[in-house]
Amino acid sequence: MIGIRAIALHQGKLSLLAIGLLCLLSAKSWAVPSFARQTGMTCAACHTVFPELTPFGREFKLNGYVLDNIKQITGIDIDSRQTLALNSIPPISMMIQISYTHTSTALPDSALPGALAKDGEVLFPDQASFFYAGKIANELGAFVQLTYDGVADHFGIDNTDIRYAHHLSFGGTDGNSHNMILGVTLNNNPTVQDVWNSTPAWGFPFAGSSVAPGPIAATQIDGALAQSVAGLGVYLWLDDHWYAEISGYSAAVVGGAHPLDSTQSNVAHGLAPYWRLAYEQRWDRNSLSVGTYGIDIKTNPGNGTPLQGLTNQYKDVAGDIQYQFIGEDHLVTVLATYIHENQTLNASFFDQFAANATNTLKTSKLTGEYSYQRRIGGSLGYFSTTGSNDTILYAAAPVVGSSTSSPDSSGYIAELNYLPWLNTKLQLQYVGYNKFNGSRTNYDGSGRNASDNNTLFGLVWVNF
Amino acid sequence: MAMFVKSTVIRNAVATLGAGLLMVGIAHTADLSTANLTDAQKVTLQKTIETCSACHGLNGRSVAPTFPNLAAQTAPYIELQLHAFKDQTRADPDAQAYMWGMASQLSDASISGLAVYFSKQSAAEGKSGNAALIAQGKQIFVEGVPGRQIPACASCHGAQAQGNGPFPRLAGQHAPYLLKQLLVIQSVLRTAPVMHGVIKDLTRDQMQAVVAYLESV
Repeated sequence: MIGIRAIALHQGKLSLLAIGLLCLLSAKSWAVPSFARQTGMTCAACHTVFPELTPFGREFKLNGYVLDNIKQITGIDIDSRQTLALNSIPPISMMIQISYTHTSTALPDSALPGALAKDGEVLFPDQASFFYAGKIANELGAFVQLTYDGVADHFGIDNTDIRYAHHLSFGGTDGNSHNMILGVTLNNNPTVQDVWNSTPAWGFPFAGSSVAPGPIAATQIDGALAQSVAGLGVYLWLDDHWYAEISGYSAAVVGGAHPLDSTQSNVAHGLAPYWRLAYEQRWDRNSLSVGTYGIDIKTNPGNGTPLQGLTNQYKDVAGDIQYQFIGEDHLVTVLATYIHENQTLNASFFDQFAANATNTLKTSKLTGEYSYQRRIGGSLGYFSTTGSNDTILYAAAPVVGSSTSSPDSSGYIAELNYLPWLNTKLQLQYVGYNKFNGSRTNYDGSGRNASDNNTLFGLVWVNF
Repeated sequence: MAMFVKSTVIRNAVATLGAGLLMVGIAHTADLSTANLTDAQKVTLQKTIETCSACHGLNGRSVAPTFPNLAAQTAPYIELQLHAFKDQTRADPDAQAYMWGMASQLSDASISGLAVYFSKQSAAEGKSGNAALIAQGKQIFVEGVPGRQIPACASCHGAQAQGNGPFPRLAGQHAPYLLKQLLVIQSVLRTAPVMHGVIKDLTRDQMQAVVAYLESV
């Protein structure tokens, strides 16, 4: 999702130089051919159109990515305990994204006052990733993504989920017993472990421009914590209906000063509880899930202040719905989520990074997707974030700021996709803003309108 | 007949390790008593069945009509199909997409065990549908289409469509799945020598009628 991290604005030092950094989008992770290599099944078994999961794809993930159909290297001890079950061919794959971004109105030059930056940018690559995705041992599997980021020009850890899953049955007789998966997940992004595409880490849009401006505010659960926390959680999946998970996240910042100190920003303080509860019903070719998720996280704002003393607290409570119809020719998906965030900004208020001690953010997303034979398709999404005004947090600044001190942004995303092969997607996306950082016109106080940030984004996305 | 099978558990090497796998309440689930398997193989076969159930249902009755019901299917037919997936001689699109990989590592013993297991599951109940279409389908099933030299389906598949040895059970099967099989057999995407001749002149409307009937049985 297009989202500028509010945390970056705590400094209250918005400048054109910051635009490049602030426009970074949350990283996504993807469907990977490693799984196809390991299972012997095509992408269509686990995905409607990648990276969105089918019911079987959800089962595969909940089972710990361990389903395999290739020769194993095995070992046992004297008690017949299995000590090794290793794929003879490692489940490794690659992804390359090449993109083109054009914003409605060019952005200001970052160094020359009054000049404009080039509009219409090709990124080659936008992202390039290596994956290990599949079985590690019996009941233990992983999705590990290492990504070269073409904008930041660095190579680093991306979304990662290592999980153990144990299947058990209890009660009843043949056909009437309960079936349950008990699992443990170790990951670096709240909701990356989730199996529905109505939660943020795997939510729509599955890819977006990393150079176009994005709104000033986003909730913590909506990507702000990706790759800056580590979470350990337990989950259960009961009778193919009920999912429940409790996880705890702590700071795990990549890069910068270590041990973590005042040069970092928005560093998680203590252990943040994350919860998830969902119910899924499947009938005929349909599936419907309804759920809730959220996190209660405390952070130190850093940015020149010590990672001690007062903290900010963000309480995110969210609901989500996903509907899928998977026909022979026609596939339809509806995704919806609503996130409510209560912010208690004791630290930022004290440090004058925020004008208010408490704020709220509310984000809504609704997306409809259609695909014909997994080959040609399109999506239409609506997004909205609203919240309380804050004269420091959402201060006026060219392009990235708000002249009304408002975090409110809304708009739509229209997308066309063509997949000549199941592992190759050609995507054309248009993002249109009704409101950007509080206003439709002159939202930044420097004469820029919301529609100036409307973005055309073309993407070649290959996985192999 | 598509079927998901977890291959790890079927390999001979892994089968010897079965006793080491933790399975809570295995006695409550699959009845493998009649399968000619060692205890270790039974434990590992149980894991395999759990994998199959992801698409074919916990009791051999699937939810999505992409995947066929396996409950009460004839054991010889299941064996034949699993071997055909493993050998890649059944090559219709869904077979390639799902079952080639799933069956690739199955041992003969595991294939036999799976066939016995699913053949002993309680059959799916028929679903009601368009009465006129069902009546038309029943006539085709029982009498064939004499004008097109299409013999009665019942002559091989049984009067109640219950199947007979290598001829599969069709009763209670998902209509969309059966229709798709008729189409891929007719177009020879799926090889089925007897059926190619039988249904070569069956029209799509007639197919829809007969599968509506079969789903209702």
